[in-house]
Amino acid sequence: MIDVKTILEEIKAAPYEEIEITAPHTGVINFEITTPGVKVAGSSGTYREKPGTLLAAITREHNAKPIHASVNGEVSHIRSDLDGKFVEAGEPLMVVRHFLTKDEVVEAILQKVLFLFTAPERAKYYFIPSADKKIKASGCRSVTVKPGMELFIVSRMKREKPLNYEGPEGIIYAVYFDHDQNVDMGGPLIGVCPEDQTGVIQDVINRVQSDWEERS
Amino acid sequence: MPEKKHKVLVANRGEIAMRIVQACQKLGLPSVCVYTKEDAHSGHVALARSIGGEDAVYRISSYHDANELLSVADHAGATAVHPGYGFFAEDYRFARRVSERSNPLVFIGPSWRIIRSLGDKINTKRLARSLNVPTVPGSDRPVYDEIEAEEIAETLFAFQAEQGIEHSVVLVKASAGGGGMGIEEIHDLDQFKTVYRRIRNYAKRQFHDEGVLIEQRIFDFNHLEVQVVADRTGKSIAHFGTRNCSVQSTGRQKRIEVAPGFRPQEVHYAFDASKVLKDIVSYSLRMAEEVGYDNVGTWEWIVSPMGQPFLMEVNTRIQVENGVSAAISRIKGQGGVDLIREQIRLALGEPMGYTQEDITFEGVGIEYRIIAEDPANKFTPWVGRIDAFEAPVNDWTSTHTQIPQGEPYVIPTEFDPNLALAIIWGKDLAQAKQRGMEFLDKLILSGQDQTGDSLRSNVRFLKEKTVTLLQF
Amino acid sequence: MDIEKRIAELAERLAYIRDIFGERDNANITLLASKLDEFSEREKTAQPPEKVRLLQQLEELFVFLEKKLETDLTPMDRVRIVRHPLRVSLKDILENVYDNYTEIGGQDEYSIDPSMLIARAYITRRRGDKVFHQPVMVIGQEKGHGQEFRNGGSVKPWGNAKALQYMKVAEIERIPIHAYVSTPGAFPVEDYPGAAQQIARNIYEMAGLRTPVVSVISEGGSGGAEAIGLSDLRLMFSHGYYSVISPEGAAAIESGIRQGQRAPAELIEACARRLKITAQDNLDMGYIDRIVQEPHLGARAYHYDFFKSLRQEIIKATDEVYLRMGGLNFFRARAVARNKAADAAEAENMYVSWTLDDAACDRLVWRRYQKYRNMAKQAFIDMRTPSTRFFSRTQNLLWSGYSFIRYDFLGKHEKKIGKALRDVEGEVRVVVNKITAPLRRGKPKNAVLACDPEKKQKLLELSQPEQGVCLDDWGWSYVSPRAREDKAVTCPNARISGCLDLWAPDLYGDFAGVCAHCGHHFPMEYQWYLSNVFDKDSILEFNAEIEAGNPLEYPGFDKKLEDAKKKTGRKSSCITFEARIDNVKIVCATLYSAFRGGSVGAAEGEKFIRALARARKKHYPFLAYVHGTAGIRIQESLNGLIQMPRVTMAVRRYIEAGGLYLVLYDTNSYAGPVASFLGCSPYQFSIRSANIGFAGPGVIKETTGIDIPPDYHRSYQALARGHIQGIWDRREVRKNLKQALLTIGGRNLYYR
Repeated sequence: MIDVKTILEEIKAAPYEEIEITAPHTGVINFEITTPGVKVAGSSGTYREKPGTLLAAITREHNAKPIHASVNGEVSHIRSDLDGKFVEAGEPLMVVRHFLTKDEVVEAILQKVLFLFTAPERAKYYFIPSADKKIKASGCRSVTVKPGMELFIVSRMKREKPLNYEGPEGIIYAVYFDHDQNVDMGGPLIGVCPEDQTGVIQDVINRVQSDWEERS
Repeated sequence: MPEKKHKVLVANRGEIAMRIVQACQKLGLPSVCVYTKEDAHSGHVALARSIGGEDAVYRISSYHDANELLSVADHAGATAVHPGYGFFAEDYRFARRVSERSNPLVFIGPSWRIIRSLGDKINTKRLARSLNVPTVPGSDRPVYDEIEAEEIAETLFAFQAEQGIEHSVVLVKASAGGGGMGIEEIHDLDQFKTVYRRIRNYAKRQFHDEGVLIEQRIFDFNHLEVQVVADRTGKSIAHFGTRNCSVQSTGRQKRIEVAPGFRPQEVHYAFDASKVLKDIVSYSLRMAEEVGYDNVGTWEWIVSPMGQPFLMEVNTRIQVENGVSAAISRIKGQGGVDLIREQIRLALGEPMGYTQEDITFEGVGIEYRIIAEDPANKFTPWVGRIDAFEAPVNDWTSTHTQIPQGEPYVIPTEFDPNLALAIIWGKDLAQAKQRGMEFLDKLILSGQDQTGDSLRSNVRFLKEKTVTLLQF
Repeated sequence: MDIEKRIAELAERLAYIRDIFGERDNANITLLASKLDEFSEREKTAQPPEKVRLLQQLEELFVFLEKKLETDLTPMDRVRIVRHPLRVSLKDILENVYDNYTEIGGQDEYSIDPSMLIARAYITRRRGDKVFHQPVMVIGQEKGHGQEFRNGGSVKPWGNAKALQYMKVAEIERIPIHAYVSTPGAFPVEDYPGAAQQIARNIYEMAGLRTPVVSVISEGGSGGAEAIGLSDLRLMFSHGYYSVISPEGAAAIESGIRQGQRAPAELIEACARRLKITAQDNLDMGYIDRIVQEPHLGARAYHYDFFKSLRQEIIKATDEVYLRMGGLNFFRARAVARNKAADAAEAENMYVSWTLDDAACDRLVWRRYQKYRNMAKQAFIDMRTPSTRFFSRTQNLLWSGYSFIRYDFLGKHEKKIGKALRDVEGEVRVVVNKITAPLRRGKPKNAVLACDPEKKQKLLELSQPEQGVCLDDWGWSYVSPRAREDKAVTCPNARISGCLDLWAPDLYGDFAGVCAHCGHHFPMEYQWYLSNVFDKDSILEFNAEIEAGNPLEYPGFDKKLEDAKKKTGRKSSCITFEARIDNVKIVCATLYSAFRGGSVGAAEGEKFIRALARARKKHYPFLAYVHGTAGIRIQESLNGLIQMPRVTMAVRRYIEAGGLYLVLYDTNSYAGPVASFLGCSPYQFSIRSANIGFAGPGVIKETTGIDIPPDYHRSYQALARGHIQGIWDRREVRKNLKQALLTIGGRNLYYR
């Protein structure tokens, strides 16, 4: 049994996440936001169709590409020295301090509560088609996993092989990987909630719902 | 060199990038390298940095993104782009963009129109036929009519019977396909209709084109190449001999290349091997002259057990195995030939400076591709950390590797696990084979993967194959 | 008690007047208000007889001033009248105009769509002492005096589908249809059967309905009105409006305001005036046949006299349609034709049988076609000289004559002879086979075939050298100007699909505007299709002189038209031409967005119709290639709107003559045209780049409050909803069109 309260206090001490925004590719960077402390918004709209605050534009081959904020938060640092300069891919451009929402706090605590099934090697991971279909249709919590069950496809060096789930029986509570992205060895793939733990998890959620104050 | 001082952007990675940087150095040209996050520890980055400093390397998001390469080229003040092999080497659109953008650069390779026309297999086949260059028997255009297709297949069976081939096989393939998709073989004409319709429907579904090619399937062939070199005028064209690339993995990837292509002095062949070599060279040059070929390129041939050559395709780029041809070549009697250097020099507009008569050949070269893979298990790639890699040093060996010396190296999962190329020279085939064995015996190579298993490599496979090299 | 009730009624009348006149001040209204207040004051103290007298005076004043106010009504006031909750509704009409009725498929909110009301009703007439019940199908929108669930008469696609179902029932039962149009516009959702597609289906079916339809327009809002409004005789309430767009909508477009904002009231008033939406305007332009006079300031549920006159008008109109179709009708036809109010009253006492025989049904449909064909003829500019007109008429005649001889006369005989020949050939073959069978058996199956040297040559040497070595023709014959820019372009799907930036010359040149990675289609110019889809130099344009005009003299529109003409070098947004696709001859009409958004007005409609006629006469397939259309050109109002039924009827005529009518959508195709002559095609295809729908996202949000997903109108959604029949890759349009022409062809096309 874990102490949700303590974890919550820990998170409360630093109730934010620092998100580093890096150059997606080479090009000349022009900042739209120039002073730290500016509040920015992530994408919005019923379908997330409205892009977030325009942070900067990066121009490459006569093509200016906007860089939008992906989450709500506050700009805490800007590399103003790069303004108008050519940058390499992956160059850090600014840092956005994002204050955790209730859902994200729940997420963070769950990572500690759930059984995490981790990647045995650095590779790209996919769900097997039958599981993938189910997850896409009705969400990951519709899938119950059992030890020894074939669940993933591991893709590495253009070759694919199956991977079986090992761990307690339960429902998939969270998925931590994206398709087409490499997962490092030991990185979590899924969080599984054993049947008898559902009460604990509900408790976490309730507690966060009542204890956590969101700020923007 | 021409008056303009050139600077070369190396649009590639690993071993070939290093060889381009070195060739530029030999020519006194500055170069710029690019690398991705995963490749930060690759040897080509360290080499470029050691020569040109921090300004000679740029981190980019992907080697596949032409925009990255060109934006770096402009920022670094590069005037020419070397594509290496793979990536953009045979992409005529990239070559066109490089040479036709508002800030045009030199594309180190043939001009884009040549890449385009020789990049198309059907075109190449038709060009060859128009010049009486032998090609694989069968259709040289997509066939859309079932009756016509059946007639071709029927004639192909009769033709093979006439040639004395015991088990005739005919291939039916989608003309728009490639990479082994949409190909089926038939063993007698009764199968034809069913297979033809299946392939046609597949092609229609997959490529929206019903065109089908029908060809003879040639078995047990040897894979030969002719190395062609030409300057920008497209008028002075020479060859640097032949290579035999018949030792391949199950996936038809080359593992050992030998120059020259056959060795009738030491090996007995069922046909006149010298004539075959002479023929494929003159056929290749005939085609190169016809299109005004204007840089390095390779004409790939298959030779049947009866000694008939058929043109397969033309690679409009430098190849991995260029070094093995260089190893046996002498220009005006001088060794130390570097075909990459020649490629860059000629692409930048320098005249050739020698003729075919000035090029002579001496001895036998063997190139080994040392790869972390498991030949016993369908050549499955192995990924992990290389702890030690040490190639024996001799005056008859040159080794190209991107593995940094003296530090462990983790093979990036994004790319093929090629570790090194080793080129061995001997005065004849016997000596070359013996030196090859010696090299492979002394090679130190160890490593571990994430689960603690030790490195797998193809070294043993290479040794086994060395014994029978050039035998046919 | 009685007095209080009468006061309350007057107060209600005053409130109504205020509602109608909007925010405008009017001395008469002020006077009425003060008089009413004054009376209310005095009422407390006055004696009963005095009260009655004063009240009577006040009531008379109301009548008097209402009459005066009537003359002050602006077009926008009429819009407010028809939208007022007190406005007569279809239920009121059913109760008061018909003698008895049964509602079909609805009881208040329990209905597939409560805004569409269907009823079987009858009208009782006497001849002497004989009583006749004459049944009719009544179809119309029901606003229900502001009942929420009626949705203001804005009908959902399935409501219109129900209307169509019962029109077909009426056709089978051979009873006339009375269509009461009272809608601000259709509810613009795409759920099956789809707003646009269903209206298109309705119009197409109504065009050929073999039973008389009389329509009565109260609120004729755009496509929603056309969904049930196509009729043989069209009546309109004197205080109604009939328009291509609501004045608010027009004002919003005109002022260029963003979603959620409101256009200024004066502009809305001005637009209402400019759009010529009143009954008198529509009568003058010829889009309605008669006006049904309403009481001052508009009919409300308690105007019993109005119902009486409506009853007479609708009977008379129905009689007129039947009598026109022939039979023994001399005197009665004269009587209805006299068209006087006094005669309308007679109508009820005169008996006209509401039945038609088959021949009369044919005439009915033909006359309906003619009626619409002759509308909007003055609304475009035809600059052709009299001699060219004469020439084109002669040519038309020749084509008709030629196709009659070629296809109807010779064609039939050819087919017969051909069949006979094939039969003989088949017989001969059987005999020959029998005779030669023993000879053929002599050859062993697996004998080694000698290789024919000539055939062997084919395996080894260049085939068809005359075609040259290089078989590929690289590139397209039209290259977009955007392909000349040295720049990278980002695919909108880059974030999701990881597409790399494309170089503009590759993207707009080689790739034909298709993302090499994810297949996203960037829009391309219409010229790209004209040169890359049809055979080289095969395009022969015709009727290019027919020119879009400004029939309503809409202020400022002449300039806009002039600009569009200058920009495109063309005279309308519709190009009609003959062309070939791999030597199959077709007629094509293209709507392109560079000219006023590809909007359709009288000129475009006329060109479309003439192109259809040409295809019909020459027995060619017809392709409607829609490179984008924003809808009906609002500045032409009804002259544009009427193109919906008008062109659809021409399409129907072409299809019934055996033609193949293919529609291909490209970029954004919305509203009127999709909801009529495009949407009615059984073969609608789309290029991946297209968005297809009834109303754009802004309008949907505005009118329904629904926030639609960004991909709501994408072609794949349209396919999934069953609105279109297939999606093509732009690079394969030519191939697919050829395939479609070969596999779908109509029965009268020449290549069959």
